[in-house]
Amino acid sequence: MTTAALIHVLVSGLATGSIYGLVGLSLVIVYNATRTVNFAQGEMFVVSTFVAWSAARAGWPLPLAFLAAVVAAAVLALVIERAIIRRSIAATHWDVLIITLGLSLILRALAGIVWSHDDFPFPSYFGNRPIAIGPARVVPVSLGIIGASVVLMALLGALFRFTRAGRAMRAVAQNQTAAWLMGISVPRVFSAAWILASVVGAVAGLLIAPVVFLSTKMGLLVINGFIAAVLGGFGSMPGVVVGGMLLGVIENLAPLYLPTGIRYSVPFILLIAILVVRPGGLAGRVHRRKV
Amino acid sequence: MKSLYAIGAAILALALAGPASAEQGVTDTEIVVGCSNSFSGPLAFTGDQLTKFGLDLYFKVVNDAGGIHGRKVRTVYYDDGYKPQEAMANTKKLVEQDRVFAILASQGTSPVVATLDYLESNRVPLLFPYQGSPVTRGKKHVFSGMMLYDRQSHTMIDYLVGQRKLRSFAALYQDDEYGKAFLTSFEKDLARHKLKLLASEPVKRGVSDVSAQIAKLQAAKPEVTFLVLTPGPGAQALKERQKIGWNETLMVSSGPLTDERYLALAGGAAEGVEGLSLWPDPLSSDLPGVKQYREHMAKYFPKNEPNRYSLAGYFDAMLFAEAVKRAGKNLTRDGLATALEGIKGWESGILPPVTIGKDHETQRQGFWVRVDKGRLKPLTDWLRSE
Repeated sequence: MTTAALIHVLVSGLATGSIYGLVGLSLVIVYNATRTVNFAQGEMFVVSTFVAWSAARAGWPLPLAFLAAVVAAAVLALVIERAIIRRSIAATHWDVLIITLGLSLILRALAGIVWSHDDFPFPSYFGNRPIAIGPARVVPVSLGIIGASVVLMALLGALFRFTRAGRAMRAVAQNQTAAWLMGISVPRVFSAAWILASVVGAVAGLLIAPVVFLSTKMGLLVINGFIAAVLGGFGSMPGVVVGGMLLGVIENLAPLYLPTGIRYSVPFILLIAILVVRPGGLAGRVHRRKV
Repeated sequence: MKSLYAIGAAILALALAGPASAEQGVTDTEIVVGCSNSFSGPLAFTGDQLTKFGLDLYFKVVNDAGGIHGRKVRTVYYDDGYKPQEAMANTKKLVEQDRVFAILASQGTSPVVATLDYLESNRVPLLFPYQGSPVTRGKKHVFSGMMLYDRQSHTMIDYLVGQRKLRSFAALYQDDEYGKAFLTSFEKDLARHKLKLLASEPVKRGVSDVSAQIAKLQAAKPEVTFLVLTPGPGAQALKERQKIGWNETLMVSSGPLTDERYLALAGGAAEGVEGLSLWPDPLSSDLPGVKQYREHMAKYFPKNEPNRYSLAGYFDAMLFAEAVKRAGKNLTRDGLATALEGIKGWESGILPPVTIGKDHETQRQGFWVRVDKGRLKPLTDWLRSE
C-alpha cells in the first residue's frame, strides 16, 4: 500500500465520518431537547434530498434547489413535531422511539412511491478528479464534505453558545422544569430543536448523495450517525463530531489490514469496545449507578 | 347448516366439473402467466421495465392481433422487493390462487432460486428468469433466461486471455449468490488458462464507500478488474477509481451490470470501461427485431425510453408466444416444454438464431463493448462460448 493510497483512504474516511458526525448531531440536538431519539431522521433527509433533486431536475439553479431541500426539511420537521410527536407528549420515551421508527418506515415507503427506490446521480459542487498536494492526491469532493461539515458544526457551536435560542435549548436540555420557570417556552424549544436537527440532517443528505447516489437506502446512514452519537457520549456535541470521524476513519482503515468483510461490523465492534472501556462515551460523563 | 354444506358441495362439484383436460391457466380465450418481480427495492427499475413495458408490450401486440390460437395472454405480477421470502409467497399465490399457466421472467438470483424447488415439484414451468445462476441448470421445468453466469465468465475470460492477451485479474464482487457464482466461475476459467485471480474484494448492499476495497485491489496491480455488482456500487467503484486516478487497470463489468443505468450513475467516470453485453443497443441497433421493438414501444408506451430491460422482457414474450404457437391449439405445460426444446435456429431479429436443446438454455452469447462518450460501443461480434 502506497502512502498516497493510504492518505486517500484516510481522507475518504474522514469525509464519510463527517457525515456520520452531522447525522449524529441531528440526533443529539433532538435528544438533548426532548430526551427522545428520532430514528426517522434518516428518512427525513432522504425526503429533503429528493426535494432538491426534483427541484434541480425541474431546472432550478443548484443553490435554490439546495435551499428548497433545507426549507422542506424544516417544514417536514415542524409538521411531524406539531402533528405527531407533541400529541404523544404524555407517552414514554419508548413509545416516542417506536413512533419515530414507524415514521421512518412510512416516510421510506412514501418516498419510494413518489421517487421510486432507484439510485439517482446527484449534482455536487465538488469535483471527483484528484488534485495533487505533495505526494498525496486528494479529491475535492472529500475535502468539500469535510469543509462544509466543519463549518456547519462551528455554526452550530456558535448558535448554542451565543444566541438566546441556543441558550434556551441548552437550558431545556439541563432542566426542563427550571427552564419553564425561567420563562422559556419548552414547546417552542422542542419545535426549534426538531427543525434545527432536520436542517442539519438535510445538509448531510445533500453532501453525501453525490458520493453514495441518492436513494431511499440513504436513510440507513442514521445507524452510523447513532453509533457516532453513542461513541461521543450521546449529548456532547464535540464528542459526536469526534465519534463520527473516528468511526469513518476506522471503518475505512480496518479492511486495509484485516479481511474486507470486517468493514461492515466495524461500527458495532467500535461501539462495544468504547462502551466497555468508557461507558459514558468519548466525551461523556459516567453517571454511576449504585448496585 | 345443512344448506351451507349443500353450497359447499355444489362449489366443489362445479370446481371438479370444469374441463378436466384443460391445463391450469389456459381457457379457450385466455392464457394466464405471471411472476413475482422487483417493483420496489434495488432492482425496481429493472422489474418495471422487464414486465410492464417488456412482456406486456409484446403481449399487447399479440392480443391486438387476435391472440395465439384465439387465446389472449393476460399477465399477473406481484412485488417481492428482491426478497426471497416474498418471492416465495408471491409465487405460491400465483400458482395456487391466480392459477397461472407458467411463471415468466421473474427477477433476481436469490428470489428466483428460492422458488426453484417449489415450482419444480409442482411441475410449473419457470420460463426465462432474469438471472443467470447456474443452479437453474438441469431442471426439468426451468428454461433459463439470461446467459448463465458460468457461461458469461467462460466467454469473458476466453476473450480477455485469448484475443486481448491479458494475464492478471482481480474482482470486486457483490457478497451474495450473484457475486459468488461469478467468482467461482472466474477461478475455474482462469485455471484452464493456468492463471489465478490475484485478489477479490466483497461489497455488501447498503450505503458505504468502496475506497478501502479499491485501494486493496490497486495494491494487487491487476491488468483487469472485474466488477460483479449492481448499478449503484458498480458506478461507485468507477468513481472511486477516478478519484485515485487508477488508470493502469481495465475495468470490466459482468453481463448483468453492463447497462445504461450504471453508465448514467457513473457519469464521466465510466469512459473506457468494457464489459460483456447480452443485448444489442436498444436505442441504436438496426437489427429488425430491435427496430420492431422500438416501433411497438413508440406506439404503446410513447413516454417510455427504450432500454435493455424492456427489450429483454419483449424478447421473452416473443419466445413464449412462439413456443405457444408451436404447441398448438391443445396447449399443455408438457406441450409447451416440447415446443421450446424443439426450437432450432429461430430468428428473433434481436439475438443470434436461438436454439434450445435439452439443456434448456435460451441465451448463449454476448458481445464485447467499450464505453465511448457515454454509450456502449460494440468491439466484437457475438462471442461464442463452448
